[in-house]
Amino acid sequence: MNRKTLLKRMVHNPFFMSGIIIMVILLLILWIVPNLIPYDATTNSLLEMNKAPEWFSRGFEGHVLGTDSLGRDILARVLIGGRTSMKIGLIVVFIEIVIGTTMGLLAGYFGGIVDTVIMRLCDIILAIPNLILGIAIMAVLGPSIINLIIVLCFTGWVQFCKLTRNNVIIAKEMEYSKASKAIGASDTHIMFTQILPNVTTDIIIIASEKFGQAILLESALSFLNLGIAAPAPSWGNMISDGKSFLMVYPWIAMSAGFALMFCVLASNFIGDGLRDVLDPKRY
Amino acid sequence: MEEMKKTQVSSEEKEVLVEIKDLSVTYKSERATVYALNGVNLVIHKGESLGLVGETGAGKTTTAISLLRLLPRNATITGGSIYYDGESVMDMTEKQIRQKRGDKIAMIFQNPLTSLNPVFTVGEQIAVLLRVHRGMNRREAMKAAGELLEQVGIASYRTGDYPGQFSGGMRQRVGIAAGIACNPELLIADEPTTALDVTIQAQILELMADLQKKRKTSLLMITHNLGIISELCQKVAVMYAGRIIEYGTVKEVFAHPAHPYTRGLLEALPNLEKKQERLHAIPGLIADSQNLPSGCHFHPRCEHCTKRCEKERPEMIRLNDDHYVACFAHEE
Amino acid sequence: MVKYIFKRLGQTVIVLFFVSVIAFLLIRLAGGNPALLLAGDGATDAEIAEIERSLGLDQPLVVQYFKYIGNILRGDLGRSTSYGMPVANLILSRFPNTLKLASVTVLFGCILAIPLGIIAGSHQGTVIDFFATLFALLGQSMANMWKAVVFIYIFSVWLGWLPSIGMEGGIKSYVLPVMTLGWQMSAQVTRISRSGMIDTLHEDFITATYAKGIHPLVVRWKYAFKNAVCPVITLVGMRFGTMLAGTIIVEAIFSWPGLGQLLNTAVNQRDYALVQALLLLSGAMFAIINFAVDIINSLVDPRIKLR
Repeated sequence: MNRKTLLKRMVHNPFFMSGIIIMVILLLILWIVPNLIPYDATTNSLLEMNKAPEWFSRGFEGHVLGTDSLGRDILARVLIGGRTSMKIGLIVVFIEIVIGTTMGLLAGYFGGIVDTVIMRLCDIILAIPNLILGIAIMAVLGPSIINLIIVLCFTGWVQFCKLTRNNVIIAKEMEYSKASKAIGASDTHIMFTQILPNVTTDIIIIASEKFGQAILLESALSFLNLGIAAPAPSWGNMISDGKSFLMVYPWIAMSAGFALMFCVLASNFIGDGLRDVLDPKRY
Repeated sequence: MEEMKKTQVSSEEKEVLVEIKDLSVTYKSERATVYALNGVNLVIHKGESLGLVGETGAGKTTTAISLLRLLPRNATITGGSIYYDGESVMDMTEKQIRQKRGDKIAMIFQNPLTSLNPVFTVGEQIAVLLRVHRGMNRREAMKAAGELLEQVGIASYRTGDYPGQFSGGMRQRVGIAAGIACNPELLIADEPTTALDVTIQAQILELMADLQKKRKTSLLMITHNLGIISELCQKVAVMYAGRIIEYGTVKEVFAHPAHPYTRGLLEALPNLEKKQERLHAIPGLIADSQNLPSGCHFHPRCEHCTKRCEKERPEMIRLNDDHYVACFAHEE
Repeated sequence: MVKYIFKRLGQTVIVLFFVSVIAFLLIRLAGGNPALLLAGDGATDAEIAEIERSLGLDQPLVVQYFKYIGNILRGDLGRSTSYGMPVANLILSRFPNTLKLASVTVLFGCILAIPLGIIAGSHQGTVIDFFATLFALLGQSMANMWKAVVFIYIFSVWLGWLPSIGMEGGIKSYVLPVMTLGWQMSAQVTRISRSGMIDTLHEDFITATYAKGIHPLVVRWKYAFKNAVCPVITLVGMRFGTMLAGTIIVEAIFSWPGLGQLLNTAVNQRDYALVQALLLLSGAMFAIINFAVDIINSLVDPRIKLR
């Protein structure tokens, strides 16, 4: 597929474009707006508890999205929490790709005992639901960002591994791998120059969806007080805080929930759009 | 065209079953428009078997599926009409055309490995025709499906087996059994032997010839194999770049090919009787259907190309009652 | 067929074995010394050693593991410290609630999602397809806790129609938890049936089926969908298995007295025997359901049997 068709397909794909636009806007807001507001994400203020949103009646000077039960500015918390989530999502997906593709390449290329061991490992990890495994590990390790990343990666690399492995097995049977082997190319050379480029498309698609899933899982753990611990803000623990005040101060949970939704939605839109855009079978 | 039809009817005294007039079909893809059919004219008479020859991409399959109105969603009929037994296929309601499919007009597909549904038993896939068109109940239809399998040389107890349990040749027999299930007036066979081994090809062809003779079904045989045509068909139509360029009885066309393309095709066949140094090949590549040549579509590859061939498109000319050709070289 | 079943059974047992090892090691190695917890703060070293001996903690890990497995096979899952009762009884009393919630959700999700997926896949690129995809993407993108909070706000706080906690309200109490869980599940089911339909409808045998004069609805819903149904069964099974192990978030929000809530409490109270048992149980659920799914799939699709 040439670059022009690719670009044309991207522009004409409503899901992909909305995903990109939402993501760009979100990133801009997360990294610019905190510098404009005069509030800190973790400073309590007993005088300003549970204030309703002022929207933009005083620009960024007032509590645009209101305050929570400890008088902390919700906008600041949503934004700072968002930065953390985004960073964690990126780091986790990156590590997952590295571990997953390496394991997948090894399993697919060498087959035999290597393959069996790696695949069984995948089966075992898949045999326990993500969240339950995450909760159990977090309960044992204790909440901290590093532990959170470890847990997310531990459950997340399997998909990349299986994908890469299956692709490698298909690619290995194709003519070009056999041809490379026939002209005396080494295993590692074939792996990195011939096979890896063929799985990148799928990896990109899965990665963009995994980013959202990592953030979802992170916020679920934070919601259960097993992820990012208070007072540090995170979308998950903000929804958890707000849940108790839903009756009287609904805005506390709403802002974080919307931010989380848009972030994951953008990631899924991009993934779904890419699946369509990069589909070689499409006529 | 009108004249051609009249002369044919009078000379052969056969009823016309299918008449395709000036049919044009295009496929739209993301990057280009493919001109698959560019004014196809074709007549199939009752009880006759017609061979449709041409290279890959000449529009043979498109012609066949147009008849059943089964063109994919990205295809558009840009012109022309199809008459089946005097009725316009394009003007039929969904229900009317559905009642024709499988019952009056049946089709056998090219690749027996992909044209049977892998998750249904072969019996079920044959029986469904009888249930839909003959109103049989499940048990009657299954029994009839078993009898049909017997007719194509498969034991009837195998109705309960899945396509995966049959070999390629056997699956094509199943395809044929499904094709003849409702005793159709017209059987379309789209390269039914291309995907099979040579020895199995012969068996399948023999079976088809046998069934066609017994049942007096009209047959539209699509193939790129001239040998099959000479064995199985009375009439032949040669297709090139979405047009019929030569039409006539097999005897006449094969003995005196009038179009340079047909001549090329025949010369490309190995001849065991004559001593030949090497086989002839038609120079050049098949016309690019996204970007068709002007005038006669064959002119860039033609040895006898003139100025006129580059500009004008030749119409069908009658050479004799049994032979028509679309080439300026035969105009008097 | 029988051979296939035994092969799958063997694989299931192997996976279960490793799950039990993980559950065992995770708690034993990282969960701290249970003897310390039992003995309390003021205990002397001698007392602790005595408790360790009585619990068999002084023996090698392998011996401890086999003892642990032996106990499980006899139905002894240990004693919950936070509830002060045998873990097995605790689990048995909570499991029906989780089972009910999971079953209703799966039923609701399938009834909604499968037709939606089939219709969307049959009319790729149309308005229906767009909205089905949007429905699915939204369902996957909204965290369950967020959906639950929004539903509670709309239907309990604002409109006051439905209860937001517990399962005492009969059918009414099922509505919000099932909507929350069902949307996420039907999102995935819709997408997988849609893409399965799209792939299948491009096959030659579908054209061949149309050529038989069969009604398009029958072609799609019967002849095409049966080809696309196996991944759907697998997915539904997986979701069902996950939910059977306890839908932690939803049970926490709606105070649903099921296994998920139990796990939540166990984790917060550092009730390791209970965490361990629930971890093992979720693995077992998953393995059993996967096994069942494979058997069902091999019955639906003859190609699986032949492999």
